[in-house]
Parts: sequence; C-alpha cells; structure tokens
Amino acid sequence: MFFVKVLEHTATLHPSFFGAQASEFIIDQLYRDREGSNTGTMMIIAIIDIEDISEPKIVPGSGYAQYNVSYRAIVWRPFRGEVVDGMVNSVVNNGFFVEVGGLNVFVSKAMIPSQLKFTMEGATPSFTDGTEQTVERGSQVRLRIKGLRGEMGTMYAIGSIREDYLGPLLQ
Amino acid sequence: MASFLDQDFPDEEEEDFNPQQEVGSDDEDGQRGAEDDGDDDGDEQQPARPERSRSRPQADEEDPNGDEGAMNGTVGDEDEEHDEEDEEDDDDEDDEDELEGQPSRKRRRKQKRNQFIDVEAEVDEEDEEEPEEDDELPADEMHPDDLQELPPGADRDDRKHRELDRQREAQFQMDVEEEAARLKERYGRQSRITGAGTAIVPQRLLLPTPDDPRIFRMKCRPGKEKEIVIAIQGRVTDRATSREPMRIFSAFERAKPGSPLAGNLYIEARRVEDVAAACEGISHVFMGTKPLMVPLEEMPDLLKVQKDKQLEAGMYVRMRRGLYSGDLAQVWEVEENGTMVTVRIVPRLDYGMNEDANAPIDEHNKRKRVAKPLAQRPPPRLFNENEARKKHQKYLQKQTGLSNNIWSYQNKEYENGFLIESVRVNVLQTEDVNPTLEEVTKFATSGAENGEESLDLAALAATLKTSTANEFLPGDKVEIFRGEQKGVGGRSVQVYGDVVKIRVDPGNGALSGQTLEAPIKDLRKLFKEGDHVKVIGGSKYTDEVGLVVRMRDDRVTLLTDSNNAEITVFSKDLREATDSGGAGADSRFALFDLVQLDASTIGCVIKVDRESLRVMDQNGSVRTLLPSNISNKLERRRNAAATDRDGNEMKHDDMVKEYSGEQKAGRVLHLHRNFVFAQNRERLDNAGVWVTRFNQVQVIAAKGGKSAGAGGMDLTKMNPAVKQNGPAPGTMPPPQARGRDRLIGKTVKIRTGPSKGMIGIVKDSTDLEAKVELHAKNKIIPVKKDMLALIDPSSGQTITNGIQQLLMGRPPPTGAGRTPSYAAGARTPAYAMGGRTPAYAAGAGGRTPTWKQDSGAKTPAFGSGTSYGGNSGFGGQTAYGGGGGGGGGGGGGGGGTSYGGATSYGGATSYGGATSYGGGSVWGGTGGQSSWNSVGGGRTPAPSGSKTPAYGGLEAPTPGYNSAPTPGGYDQPGGLRDPPTPDVFRGGSYQTPGGYPETPGGWAAETPGADDAPGYD
Repeated sequence: MFFVKVLEHTATLHPSFFGAQASEFIIDQLYRDREGSNTGTMMIIAIIDIEDISEPKIVPGSGYAQYNVSYRAIVWRPFRGEVVDGMVNSVVNNGFFVEVGGLNVFVSKAMIPSQLKFTMEGATPSFTDGTEQTVERGSQVRLRIKGLRGEMGTMYAIGSIREDYLGPLLQ
Repeated sequence: MASFLDQDFPDEEEEDFNPQQEVGSDDEDGQRGAEDDGDDDGDEQQPARPERSRSRPQADEEDPNGDEGAMNGTVGDEDEEHDEEDEEDDDDEDDEDELEGQPSRKRRRKQKRNQFIDVEAEVDEEDEEEPEEDDELPADEMHPDDLQELPPGADRDDRKHRELDRQREAQFQMDVEEEAARLKERYGRQSRITGAGTAIVPQRLLLPTPDDPRIFRMKCRPGKEKEIVIAIQGRVTDRATSREPMRIFSAFERAKPGSPLAGNLYIEARRVEDVAAACEGISHVFMGTKPLMVPLEEMPDLLKVQKDKQLEAGMYVRMRRGLYSGDLAQVWEVEENGTMVTVRIVPRLDYGMNEDANAPIDEHNKRKRVAKPLAQRPPPRLFNENEARKKHQKYLQKQTGLSNNIWSYQNKEYENGFLIESVRVNVLQTEDVNPTLEEVTKFATSGAENGEESLDLAALAATLKTSTANEFLPGDKVEIFRGEQKGVGGRSVQVYGDVVKIRVDPGNGALSGQTLEAPIKDLRKLFKEGDHVKVIGGSKYTDEVGLVVRMRDDRVTLLTDSNNAEITVFSKDLREATDSGGAGADSRFALFDLVQLDASTIGCVIKVDRESLRVMDQNGSVRTLLPSNISNKLERRRNAAATDRDGNEMKHDDMVKEYSGEQKAGRVLHLHRNFVFAQNRERLDNAGVWVTRFNQVQVIAAKGGKSAGAGGMDLTKMNPAVKQNGPAPGTMPPPQARGRDRLIGKTVKIRTGPSKGMIGIVKDSTDLEAKVELHAKNKIIPVKKDMLALIDPSSGQTITNGIQQLLMGRPPPTGAGRTPSYAAGARTPAYAMGGRTPAYAAGAGGRTPTWKQDSGAKTPAFGSGTSYGGNSGFGGQTAYGGGGGGGGGGGGGGGGTSYGGATSYGGATSYGGATSYGGGSVWGGTGGQSSWNSVGGGRTPAPSGSKTPAYGGLEAPTPGYNSAPTPGGYDQPGGLRDPPTPDVFRGGSYQTPGGYPETPGGWAAETPGADDAPGYD
C-alpha cells in the first residue's frame, strides 16, 4: 500500500562541502541515498519535499557535519493479506519467485492451486494446468501476501495464489 | 483374580449365616435363636402368615405322597427313633392349628404327661418343622387353646400363669425380632451393598481393614513373575470344583525389569497355609523363603496403578542385552499378551567371514554356546543376501511373501535388510531411548513418495510424544485440538503444571475473550501461513528460521530463510521468531564462510546444521563435514580483486555472470586463488552458491559507486568544485585495453625517430611507451607506442593499424601478417583469420566477400583462397604422408609444405571418405566439420574434381591430388582464385599477401562460389 509519510534522515557532510551550498549538498545526498531504498519494512518510492533541515552539528572526532533532515516521501509498504501484482522471475520445482516492485515474493507449491502442476518443457520450467493458466518466467501473477520478513535493506515475503481471482493474469 | 472372588465369597458368607443359625436354634433357647436369626426371618414374617394357612392343607395332602414325610424324615430322624407318638402329635398339632378353638385330646394327654417339658418341646418341635416363623406363633395361638382347656382342671391355674409368661415372652421376642428386622431392613442392605462395591464410595473407605484378606509376598526367580501368576491362575480354575479349592483371592506381581520389585510375587489370602498351598509345586517360586505378610498400610501402595508406557508399533526402543545390546530397534509388532514384541533391528552380521574354517570342530564347543566377546561384534549393516550367499549359501533361504525381499538366514528373518526378531519385552529398554538422528535415519523409510519427508515423522512422534510443560510459554498461540473445546484457539496466558491458561481469541463464539484452562495434552501450538518461526528443538533443523508455508495437523512446513529449502517439523518444536538470524548460532562457521578443507582445497559453507556443515569446494562438489574436519576459516579479504574474462576488475559483491555453461549470475562472495564463489538468491540448490574460475565469468555490474577505491567518500561526486575540474562527461573515452597489454611479445618495427626501421620485440609496455628489444643489437630501448608498427614476424610485413587493433582488444594477429604464414603452412590457423582481418582493415571491400560467402556456401568461398590454409591447421598433423588419396590431393594442392596443412585432412580419417572431402570446399572455411557436411560433401567432389586438375596443373607436383576427389574442394577455391593464387602459391605468397586476400580473391570467390553451388546440385 502506498503512503505519504514524514521521515527523518541523518546526513553527514564532509568538511570540504561546508559553505553556502551545504544544504543543497545535503538535499542532493538525501535524494541519492534514500529514494528507491528499502528500510526493511517499506520502500521509499519518491521524496516529495523537504520539510526541515536542522542546524548542523559537528560530529566530534571526525569533522563531519551532521544534519537531521525531515522529509515527506511516498512509500510503499506491503502488508500481510494484501493482494498485489508482480512478475515471475524464476520458477523452481517447489514454487516460484515473483518480483513485486522491490519485494521478492516466494509462492510455495503448497500455496499454488493443485491443478497447476510443475512441468518442465524443454528448458523452461512452469506451473501450468495444461489449458489456459501458466506461470512461467515473465508471466504476471496476482497474489496475496501471506507473510513478510524484513532485513535491513531488503524484504522477503511468501505469497499465495490459492484463492479465487488470484494467479496468472491472462493477457 | 476376579473369578476367585466370585467363587469364594458366597461360600464364606453362607457358612457364616445359615448353618450357624440352625445350630443356634437347636442348641439354645428361642430368644437366642431369634436374635441370631438371619434377616430372612424378619423379612418374611408378616406376609408369611396367610401363606402358611394356605400351604398347610397342601402339605397335608402331600403327606401321603411322602414328599413332606421325606422332608420331615430328614429333619426329624432322631425324633422318630425316640418315640413314634411324637410324630403323630405333630400331625395332630397341625390339625389343631388349623381348627382353632377345638380342644385337642392328644395334646391334653401330652401335656398331662410331661407338661413343662412337653410344652417347651412342642415349641421346639414346631420350630423345627416350620422353621423360622413358628417361634412366636405357638404362643399366640396357644392362648385360646389353653383357655378352652382351662375348665377341665384347676391345676391348670399355674399353667395359665406360665401361659401368660410365655405370652409376654413371646411378645418380647417378637418385638425384638421386629426391631431387628426393621433395623436390618433399614441398614442391612446398605452394608451388603458396600461389600459389592457397585456404588461410588470414597477411596479412603475402601482401604483394607484388618478383616480383609492379607497380602503375602513370595520370592521367585526374577523375570518369571508373570509366568507364575498365569500358572497359579490355571491351578485355581483347575481346582475350583475339586474338594480342596484354592483359598486365595488373588495373585499378582509388580515386577518391572530392573525394578526393586523384580523377583517378588504377591498373593492375597487369609492364611499363610493357603499361600503355600497355592504356590506348592509351581516352578520358579522359591518355597524356601517364608511368605511375608505385607503390612496393612503398605497394601494400597502395592496395588497402586502405575501408568505404563504402552509399546506401540513404530516406537523406538533399545535392546538391553545380547549381540545388539544398546542398539536401537523399532517396534514392529506388539503381540497380544504384551510379553513379546517383534522388533526391527539393523543386523550385525559377519556372514561367516570371521569363521575359522580350519578350526578343529570341538564337540564341547558345539554344544556349549560360546558367548562371543561383544567387542568383536560386527558393525550394524543392512542384510545383504549376496554377501550371505558367499559363504553361507546353505543357511540362506528366500521367503515367499508379498514383498520380494524377505530372507531367512540362519533361522532368522530379514526383511528389506532389517532383522525381524521377536523378543521379550523385558529385554527392551523403553524409557530414555533418545534415538539420535543417525540411528533413526537407518530406519527411515526410504522411498517416501516425492521424497519430501524421508524420515518417518509419525514414528518419531510416537517416541517423542512426551509433551512437557516447558513447551508452552505464556504468549504462545495455541489451539485445543481435541476434547470438548476442540478447535478453540487463543494465546496462552499462564502455564502451570500440566495446565495452560488460555485467553481465547475473538471469533470463537461465546468463548471469545474468556480465559479457560486446558491440559497440555490437548494443546498444540498454532501457526498461520506466513508466520515467521524458529525451530527450537527436537529435530535436526534446530535454530532454522523461516516462514510457515503450510500447516497440517501438528506438522508445519516452513521455508527457511537461509536457503529457501522447505522443511517439515512438529509445531511443538517451533516458536514465533522475533529475530531473523540465520541458523547455527552455536557453530564456529557461518553460512557462506570460506573455509580451508586441506592444503589444496577450499570451500564455501552452504549450510550450517547443528552438528554438520555442508560445504561446496572449489570444484563445485558438495560434501557434508563435521566442523572438526575443517582446518580453518579463511577470513574474507576486504579488497581482494581479480580480473574476469575480459580483464575487468572483479571484487566482492559485484554481480558476475558465467561466460559459458548455464550463464549463472550471482553476487561475488569470495575470491580465492583463481576461483570465484558467487551466490544467487534465486537458485535453490546449494543455497544459491556456485563456483567457477575467474576467467569463466564476466562482471555485469560492479557494486554501485564503489569504484572510488579504498573506502572513503567519492568526493568528486559530491563536490561541485571537483566536478567542474573533472573531465567533461559525455564524450566517450576511447576503449581502453584492459588486462595485460597484448602488444607485449609482438614483433614491431620502429617507424620514425632515431631508430627508424629497426625491428624488435616488445618486452614491456606502459600506456604510452613500449620497451623494445631490438633484433639487431642486444638492447632494450623505450619507444613511444605511436612510433611503432606491428609487423609480421616471419614475413616482415607491416600490419596496418595493427597496434590500434591490439589495443582495442580485437583479435590480435591481423590478417595481412597472416598470409605469409599461410605459405608457411604451419601458421595456417591464423591464416584463416587472416582472411578476415583485411576485411577489417580494408573496410567493406575486403569484408563483403567473406560475409557473402558465409551466408552462401559458407566456407568454400572463404576457403577460396585463404581458408585453405585454415585447414592447414590439420597440416600440423603429420597425416600428410600417411594421408590416403585425400591426403595426396591435399599435398598436391600444397605443392609444397604449405599444403602440408591440407594434407592433414587426409590424415583426419573423418574426411577419409573422399566424398566428404568434396565438401572440401567447405573446409576451406575453417574446417568446421559441420559446415563440411552441410555442403553435401558427396556432391562436391565432382565439380571440384573437375577443377582440381587445373589447380594441380598449376602445382603439378602432387599426382594424388588429381586422383583424389578431395582436392576438388580445395580446388574449387583454387579455381576461384585462379588469377591471383598461383602467385601466392608459387611465389611464396608473402609477396603479395596484403593485397591478395583482399582483392581478386575475394571477389572472385563470391561469384564462382555462387556458380558453384548450383553446379554441385
């Protein structure tokens, strides 16, 4: 789900940048560092604006200046139970991996309807029911997030397509 | 034992009551008798009256039949003997009783005769005849009689008094009786019911009293207790109907193997003699020791029921003794009587391998069972019939059965490799079995469908089913899975003893939000799909962390975080995880560590178990090791760097891709020697780790922004001042040569400057300068690179733009240089390239033909001139001489050594068929065999043949050439090439090398090639 959220960021600035433009550097750095990053629970999609840049403080012992920046950003946070669309990026025999934005979701065989069977045609593994539904690398699926796990910088999830209206999207 | 009671108790009771009663009434006076009277009298007293009046006449009628007489006779035998009149009196009195109020003559007479005694006797007699009720009746009914009899004499006065006394007495007697009856009625029944024990009575009231039978202890041979009890029971039933039944109430034993009660036998009886009688002659009972009476207060303890661990099929037990002592066994079948169990064991057999065939057959030894020293017992291995057959064919026998793998060997049965043996329960250790993983895996049912659970989890569960209180902690999500409240879920609030207090989750109806208590055995932990859980024990997966994928009953499948494997464990072994740490906190090694296995082998840890590690070594083979097998851990070198296939720098965490093979991609984990370990999260095998050599990978993405080098911040990026000074971005820098400078080792000519014209070899180089070792003098001089020209070492021909080509990383030796080499023959492989290079150099002109040719009949055209040489690669092979016709042809073409190259193909037997050779045309095109075939070698020869002669004509020297069709292939190019080639061939091609491939040859090649193709067809 997408949110607009006020976030805090602590930025440090090398002494060589001290000057009139220091805050520009800080903002620059903020955009570069934070946009597109993942905090483990959410992903910062875009920074909308900067609300406040604090007075800098010199970090003892290093000479760097430390700024606290608060900014508003559009973030995306997946929730357990949320239904999302994604693209399959690999299929293995006990499930498949789906990329949902920055989130890597594994759909286990236990959470795939039983009519979708793992098959290996040539070199492309896929889950298919033999008629219209096929999950293979590159296909789009709609799934429900069943569990989430976040580590610093990455998020993992497991998902399920064992429900009505979930599964490969027919193009 | 219950049957004992049933049989014995009634006897006792009847002895107690009825006989005594009669004796009492006979011997002593009526009062006493009444008091002693059983409850029966009281009960029936009132209603009996009318009945009696009715039954009397019947009795009279029956008298003549003798029925009653017989009865009376038995009772009153003695009376009869004494006087017969009494008998008559009896009858009369009966009459009297019936006809109340009429004076009885006989009675009077009797009374006169011996009044006092008679009266008493009368009463007594009546008592006897009409047992029970009559005691009081005479008194009652006497009264009117006496009144009637009164008038006859005055002396009857005192009789009257006595009559009154008796009346009173009788009255009193009746009162007492009635009272007794009433009491009996009120309380008697209760006491009896207590005895029967049907109602619920508090335990403490059932404790044995001193009146109850006592329990005696007998000593016996340990282990035989059960047998003895069964023997005693048999004896009891045998003697139940005999004259001397066993007077014991029960016999039992409480022995468990190894317990202090072993060798004790308990018998419940009233007297010691009965115990001795019961045990007399039963084997294994030690009659020498006196029966010991168990103190009253200890009796209940002796009979306390101890919950026994029930053996079930599938459980694991340990053998106590014998060859398999200490070995794990699996209960296969439990027999009905509970004393024998069939178990499955991994056999320890040596198949007679240790038998000494020459040992003298010792009769004694044969008879005595020589106990084998256990130290030498063979290792446990599954039964192998082939091994058994080697020496013990005669003992081996195949059993017919449904499964094909049942063998009988030395009188024991082996099924699917396991020894199936039935043993007594007491040789099994059922407590504290604690099977280890290795042991259990031996019993694991292999071939479980789809292999997902190779272990028989159900069997393990049977052994490990002891759920303990410490499994549950406050805060755990639990579910009641059986009982009345089945299906209710909640969170545990408090755990005490075997009870868990649960706060029920909302959604459970009326119970929602309430707190209820449930016993641990009805609870299991509840997890939902997607829960992040940690394995806390009880399995080999301890400390794994993962997401729950599926939950079926109490089995939970989870996807581990560490390597995306799916594992199945019991819910009791799981706990909700808060930390996301990987496995193996207690291991010295962490996942993805680089470890040294031995001096020449290193590996990357791909799985950390509690006891073992899985390691992928540098060759890609995976093995499972104990941590002790690893010599040390290699610390990751922060700034290790290597070059990839293209000479690009490669560092940790760069994304690399395999150049060939599967083209696996991954992030670099380790760089060691010339191996790179990389990991790809999306691969499931080996935790996504793969290994290959540096030169097999290409860097596809360096880790973002790391290029600045040693740590620090990239100042240029941030500081605008620095940025301005920096090179203007946007213009593409010329391609940089990476890696080793290819110029090194090349022969160059100095184009300008003081040393102009000198030739030398580049020994070393920097960006701009090269150190050239001059041919002319033994000297190395630095020369600017742009003052050099690359030349062909053998021909001395300058290669245009050669150096630039080299720096661009293009295939190094450029064509021009080659042509000569063509002539040289040995060089030929390069030669093939040669054909191409000019194309680069010369631009379109040179190239087009080549390409076209490629698309058309591929090689021939190419081969047309140059390619031939390409084949000469073969030439390197000595085949020439040996070459058959084909070879000869080649030789012919060669006209000299250069063709020697061609000959080689003669040597290559595959060509052997002259026809294929015809493809020869193709072969010019670098000799890819496939291309060869594609041409349709069969046909080519002819056309080519036609041409060859021409060629041959040129060269003349090789007769074989003509004869063999092959040259045709060759020839064809020759034909194409005709105008220029001759020169080339003859004159030592290096004279016109550069030009040659480019110009006529190329063009010529094109057209004729085209012509040729149809020609072939």
